[in-house]
Amino acid sequence: MPDARILVGAIGAAHGVRGLVKLISFTEDPAAIVRYGELSDAAGARRFRVALVGGGAPAAAAAGAGQRGARLIAGIEGVADRNAAEALAGTELYVDRAQLPRPADPEDYYLADLVGLAAFDTGGRALGRVVAVHDYGAGASLEIAPEQAAAPTSRRGKPRAAAGAMLVPFTRAAVPNVDLASGRITVDPPAEIEVPPEGHAARAGMDAEAAP
Amino acid sequence: MTRSGWKGPFVDGYLLKKAEAARASGRNEIIKIWSRRSTILPQFVGLTFGVYNGHKFLPVLVTENMVGHKFGEFSPTRTFTGHQAGDKKVKRG
Repeated sequence: MPDARILVGAIGAAHGVRGLVKLISFTEDPAAIVRYGELSDAAGARRFRVALVGGGAPAAAAAGAGQRGARLIAGIEGVADRNAAEALAGTELYVDRAQLPRPADPEDYYLADLVGLAAFDTGGRALGRVVAVHDYGAGASLEIAPEQAAAPTSRRGKPRAAAGAMLVPFTRAAVPNVDLASGRITVDPPAEIEVPPEGHAARAGMDAEAAP
Repeated sequence: MTRSGWKGPFVDGYLLKKAEAARASGRNEIIKIWSRRSTILPQFVGLTFGVYNGHKFLPVLVTENMVGHKFGEFSPTRTFTGHQAGDKKVKRG
């Protein structure tokens, strides 16, 4: 597996005086964060048993639009007072990849499994590595960046699209083989046809004639 | 009949011609387009378009559910900077 641990949430501020905390869930179903068993911190040193309060209903104050990640109220085993809960604020919660259930459909893949796979074309030539998986509602696509290109980051340290990266639709035709065990995919990049707006070519011709 | 119904869906004409040519060829190809304003027609189902978002061409695999929407809806122009779901799955189309 490319990454053995997956970020699934974070502990927010303390809630009340009995050791409850606000839990920020990054899982697809926010309440699923507690279904994956024990969670651990970034270093993997501390482990947490987390239980949702109120059946996983979002925190009333934080359920508004624009939230990044659903906020829930949770209790953590061994945390009984507000001071202990405050000490945990900001802790990121990870789950071992092995704890995630196997996808029911063989054509389903976890994003975490795809990112980092080495990409080769049908002739065996290395194309790079999968740096991101995009899904905007029209089928997933893989962003493959050349191996030598260092992953650029923004001023805030967020990853940016690498130079020379290619986007490939995640379809059987374009990605005929996904081998998670050996960490590689085979890519058959589709041919590209450009369809410039009508009049674009004519304008370009006129510009060329006008140039000295 | 409302005026919008009478006028029919808008689609750039050159796009229709290119899509028909691509369908006839039957090859695995991406049709790179700038026309985000064009409506997705039933003729486009099954084709893959690369829709420009001002920065790059995002692959859009057209399915039946997308008919009636505009191409631009599937190629966001802004970067989401939050967390992606850790346990999110994608399906190979």
